[in-house]
Amino acid sequence: MFILSLGRSLMFALQSFWRNFWLSLATIVIIFLTFLSINFLIGINAVSDSALAAVKDRVDISVYFKPEVQEVKISEIKSHLGAMPQVKDIVYKSPELNLKEFQERHKNDANIQETLKELEGNPLGGTLVIRAGQLADYPEVLKAVDNPAYADLIEEKNYEDHQLVITRINNISDNVRKGAIIISILFILIAILIVFNTVRIAIFTHQNEISIMKLVGASNWFIRAPFIFESIFSGIIGCLLALAVFYPLLSLVQPQLASFFNGANFDLVGYFNNHLVWIVGSQLVGIIILNFISSSAAIGRYLKV
Amino acid sequence: MIHLIDIFKEFPPNTVALRGINLHIEAGEFVSIVGLSGSGKTTVVRLLIAEAKPTKGQIVVGGWDITKIKNSQVPCLRRQIGVVFQDFKLLNKKTVFENVAFALQVAGTVRSRINSIVPQVLEIVDLKDKANRYPQQLSGGEKQRVAIARALIHRPKVLLADEPTGNLDTINSKGIIDLLLKINEFGTTVVLVTHDKDIVNSLKKRVVTLDAGAVSQDQRVGKYVI
Ligand SMILES: Nc1ncnc2c1ncn2[C@@H]1O[C@H](COP(=O)(O)OP(=O)(O)OP(=O)(O)O)[C@@H](O)[C@H]1O
Ligand SMILES: [Mg+2]
Repeated sequence: MFILSLGRSLMFALQSFWRNFWLSLATIVIIFLTFLSINFLIGINAVSDSALAAVKDRVDISVYFKPEVQEVKISEIKSHLGAMPQVKDIVYKSPELNLKEFQERHKNDANIQETLKELEGNPLGGTLVIRAGQLADYPEVLKAVDNPAYADLIEEKNYEDHQLVITRINNISDNVRKGAIIISILFILIAILIVFNTVRIAIFTHQNEISIMKLVGASNWFIRAPFIFESIFSGIIGCLLALAVFYPLLSLVQPQLASFFNGANFDLVGYFNNHLVWIVGSQLVGIIILNFISSSAAIGRYLKV
Repeated sequence: MIHLIDIFKEFPPNTVALRGINLHIEAGEFVSIVGLSGSGKTTVVRLLIAEAKPTKGQIVVGGWDITKIKNSQVPCLRRQIGVVFQDFKLLNKKTVFENVAFALQVAGTVRSRINSIVPQVLEIVDLKDKANRYPQQLSGGEKQRVAIARALIHRPKVLLADEPTGNLDTINSKGIIDLLLKINEFGTTVVLVTHDKDIVNSLKKRVVTLDAGAVSQDQRVGKYVI
């Protein structure tokens, strides 16, 4: 009997949904826009997170040793620095490798090629490339490298902290995020109002039916439920529609993003795929709760039973 | 079956629709309620289906004190009291069958049972052959018979009819009254609110006359006297 009544409520809800099609459409559109902006927000978060991760990953300290320093000595320093808890990873590059990379990098520069040819032997020494676990660990590592005992061995140190890039990414993503949050909240508020209004109008268009239902002894929840179901229908459709539009958009944007962050390895579609259950689930639950509250408010106000 | 004990009904700020009604109707009776416009007849009907609550007094229907009935119990009461009005209150987008079935649908009756009961009730009101028509395709009398069928579908102990013939011509009116008498013969208590002198006089049944919210006459075999 309960299942039967539930089924009939759902059927009444569907009928009313079609009867007020244009109104239902307006509700769906606004919910669609709401979720589009929310998904955009999620996308922005994912992009800026992985962009930051990519940039942070590029931060390192390169220590260039003088050519005469022996590999054994460098190895010693390497194991000494490598023992620091802050150091995540430390790589030795031999003079030969450095020369090869240098030539490769300047292969179009005739002057440099000429000079290299004139030089006897390898002018470059070995290099240690050091990465810390956290950005905040670098000052500590730098201090260790500045050890006076090493001063004579080291030709040059290079610490690129990319701080500027990181701040810039943070700034941009913060601004976009703020905008997206404001727009999302705005859409959510409009959605609440429209759902409320849609249910209100649905109640007015069914006035006759409602009074007859009361007359023949329909229970209160049976009279109310279709309106709640109807608003939840619109919510679910709008939410799924937004995802259906957002996904293809994502795969369109993905290559652009990849080239913009030039090689940085991140996969927005993959991110959404991995979190699909959570994203779809929370959005559906959210819109169901929101529409339930909003339509209940309209029913409480306009449907006296 | 129906007991109205010292009923007062006020509509703020300054209308007193009923002032001290005492009315007792036994099971199986056929009672006509007459009175001038505004004398409180419809208000009595609305109190009986708990569409309004009395300001003072006690109402008992079928042994059930509905004076302070809870909202959640009103549907249960409405399934035990059938009611029809002057304006039929049918759904124009539903057929005769669907209009009657609607009362069962909302009460959670299974389809197979709906399909067996509705034709039986349509048979009683003699509309079996018009089950698939829409209200616009029916005469006023037929519409009222659909409404009566719907009111009977839950097999109520009481049928309230508030001016059921108000919109009908003499012939159709007679049809409806005959139907109400037939229903009464089956054992249902019938309360008929009417303005129609000829009908009341031809019935030769109990007549209660209301005047300004009070019972002015209550006759076993009454006449229409106003
Ligand atoms: N909802 C209401 N609010 C205020 N006053 C009301 C309301 N309903 C009825 N009344 C008043 O109560 C009195 C009785 O009304 P009621 O409808 O019971 O009369 P009635 O006997 O059915 O009249 P009629 O024969 O015209 O149908 C009238 O004075 C009416 O104006
Ligand atoms: Mg009246």
